[in-house]
Amino acid sequence: MSEHERFERESNGRSNGESNAGDTATDADASAAHGSAVELRGEDLEIGYPSTDEPVVECETVLLPAGEVTALVGPNGSGKSTLLKSMANQLAPDCGQVRLDGEQVQSLESKELARRLGLLSQENESPASLTVEDLIYHGRYPHRGFFESVGDEDQAAVERAIDLAGVEDLREKEMKNLSGGQKQLAWIAMVLAQETDVLLLDEPTTYLDLHHQLRVMEVVRTLNREQGVTVGIVLHDIGQAARFADNLVAMKDGEPYDWGPPRDVVTEELLSEVFHVDASVDSESPTGPHIAPHRALDD
Amino acid sequence: MSNSAVPGAESTSRVQQWLAGVDGALLSLCLGSVLVVVAGGLVQVSFGTYSMTVVEAWQAVVNPNVLLNLQAWEAFVFGADLPEMNQRSLIVWNIRLPRVFVAMLVGMNLAVSGAIFQAVTRNELASPFILGVSSGAGLLILLTLVVFSGLSAFLPLVAALGGAIAFLIVYAIAWKNGTSPVRLVLAGVIVGTIFQSLQTGLFFFAGDIGVVQSAIAWTTGSLTGTDWEQVRMALPWTALAMLLSLVSSRQLNVLLLGESTARALGMSVERVRFALSGIAVLAAAASIAVAGIVSFVGLIVPHLVRNIVGSEYKKLVVGCLFAGPALMVAADVGARLGLQVLVGASTQIPVGIVTGLIGGPYFLYLMRKQDALGEI
Repeated sequence: MSEHERFERESNGRSNGESNAGDTATDADASAAHGSAVELRGEDLEIGYPSTDEPVVECETVLLPAGEVTALVGPNGSGKSTLLKSMANQLAPDCGQVRLDGEQVQSLESKELARRLGLLSQENESPASLTVEDLIYHGRYPHRGFFESVGDEDQAAVERAIDLAGVEDLREKEMKNLSGGQKQLAWIAMVLAQETDVLLLDEPTTYLDLHHQLRVMEVVRTLNREQGVTVGIVLHDIGQAARFADNLVAMKDGEPYDWGPPRDVVTEELLSEVFHVDASVDSESPTGPHIAPHRALDD
Repeated sequence: MSNSAVPGAESTSRVQQWLAGVDGALLSLCLGSVLVVVAGGLVQVSFGTYSMTVVEAWQAVVNPNVLLNLQAWEAFVFGADLPEMNQRSLIVWNIRLPRVFVAMLVGMNLAVSGAIFQAVTRNELASPFILGVSSGAGLLILLTLVVFSGLSAFLPLVAALGGAIAFLIVYAIAWKNGTSPVRLVLAGVIVGTIFQSLQTGLFFFAGDIGVVQSAIAWTTGSLTGTDWEQVRMALPWTALAMLLSLVSSRQLNVLLLGESTARALGMSVERVRFALSGIAVLAAAASIAVAGIVSFVGLIVPHLVRNIVGSEYKKLVVGCLFAGPALMVAADVGARLGLQVLVGASTQIPVGIVTGLIGGPYFLYLMRKQDALGEI
C-alpha cells in the first residue's frame, strides 16, 4: 500500500508548499515560519583536532542563509564534516565563532542549543531492540526536563516527524529489522522531532540505495519548504547537491573554494580544481547543472 | 498543563503499547523471579543445623505473633530489643530470613549496578568488577584485616570507600579530553590487576589462618552470618540507588544512542556519565559492604534480563530489580545447603563461589549463541 500513497502524499505536500508560496490563506503558517527563519554563520574559524597541530579547517566566513538549503561539497578530507561539527558546537574551534541568529553557540546552554539546532551524524548506532517510535521520542530529549514525562507537545511533534519522514509503517518495528535506508529515515525522523530552526546533516545519503537517497532528500526539501527550516547538509554526490540545494559551499583543503547557487558554483573548472575530475557540465539543464564525469585527473 | 498525559487517541495508543510491553516479557520475568525468591526463601528457612520440620518452619514464618507485631519489626528494622518469641520463630525470623533478605538486596544492587555500568561504557561486558570497583574494595578490606585490624568494625564503610576510590582512579586515568567507553574499561582492567596483585601480596603478611579465611570470605563474597544488622545497613542505600536508577532510565537510554547523538540532543555527556557511575558505585558498595565481592551477578543478570525484555532501560532496571534477587537467593541456597546435600558435610561455602560456578558457564553459553557480544 504505502509506497504509492506515501509518494502521492509527499508530492502533494511539496506541491502545496510550492504553489502556495506567496498566496494568502493557507500560507499564513508557512510564511510565518519563513519569517522566523534563522541563519547560522561561522566567522574566522580555525578548527583542529587535539591530535593535529595544524588546523584542519580555516574559513573566514561560512553562511547558512536563513530558510535555505546549503550543501557542503568537496573531496574526501576537505574538512566538510569537521566544519559541520564545529557549526553544531560539537567540536570547539581553536578560534573564531559560530553565531546562531546572532547568538554565539558556545554561550548557549546545551539543551537550549539542541532545541534550536539539530545535528545528525554520519554514523549512528542504536540498541538493536529499540523501536522506531521510541527512537523518535528520544528526539524530544532537549524539550523535556529531568522528571518530565511525555507531554502532548512531545506526542504532537513525534507524530509530525513520523508523518514528514514517511515512517508510519515502520513505527512499531525494531531497528535491527530495518534496512540501511529505513534506519536513516528513522534517524531523520528523530532529528525532525527535535523541531529545531536549523538542521545539520552529515552525509545522510551515503551508502543508501537510490530510492532511499531520494526519499531522504525529499524529506529535507519538504521540511525546508514547509517549515522554513534552515538546512546545512554535507553531500558526497555533487550532482545530488546541485539538484537539491539552494546554495553550495565547495570545500578544498579545509577552505571554502567557492560559494553560491549551484548554477554559478558547479563549473568544469571547479570539478577539475577541487574534485580532480575531468567532466563536462550542462548548466542549462532544467533540473540544475548536469555533470557528466569523464575521467579522474592526476593530482 | 502541556506535560500531563491527557488521554487522546494517540496517547491511549502509547499507553496501550506501554502496558503491552509491561504485560508481556517483563511481567513474566518478574513473576518468575518472585517465584524463585519465594521458593528459595522457603527452602532456606526450612533447613539448617537446628532441626525442625518443614511445616514447623513455615508456621514460624507466618507466626502472627511476629508478623503482626510492631515491636518485632521495630527490632528488625531499627535494631530495638527483640520481643519474646518461641525458639523456632527466633531461628526463622532472626537467623534464616534476614539472610534471604540480604541476598535479595545484594542481588538487586549488583544487577542494577552492572546494568548502569554497561550503559555508561556502552559495553555489555562491563560490570562493577571490570571497572575496578571490586578490587579497590577488596584491597582496602584486606588492608584493614591484615594491617589496620583496629578498624575491623568499620569494614563495610571501608569497602565502600575502597570501591569509590578505585573508580575515581580509573576515571582519572581514562580522562583525556573526556572519557570513552574503551578507555574506561581498559583503565578499569589495569587498576583492577594492580590492586589484585597487591591483595595477593598482602596474604603473605597475614598473622594467622583465621584472618586469611575471613579475608577470603570477603573477597569471594559470602552471606554466612548475615542478619538484620546487614539488612539495616544496606536497605537505605539500596532504596536510594534503586530509586535514582529508575529515575535516570531515560538518560541511560539516550546514552545508548552513542556519545555524539547524546551530545547533539543537548545532554552534557560527561556530567551525566559521571553521575550515573556514582549511582552504580553506590549500589555496588552497598552490596560489597554486607556481602563482600560476589562475582558475575553484575555481569550476568543485566545480560539475561536484556535478552528477555530488550535494552529499554526502564524495563531493564525493573527486570534487574527482580531477577537479581532471584539469582542471588537461589545461589545462596546452593552455598548454604549444597555441601550438605552433596557430601553430607554441614560446611557452608561462600556464595561468590556458587555465582561464579553458575555465571561462568552461562556466559560461555552466551558467547557461543550470540554472534556479536560486547556492544549493546
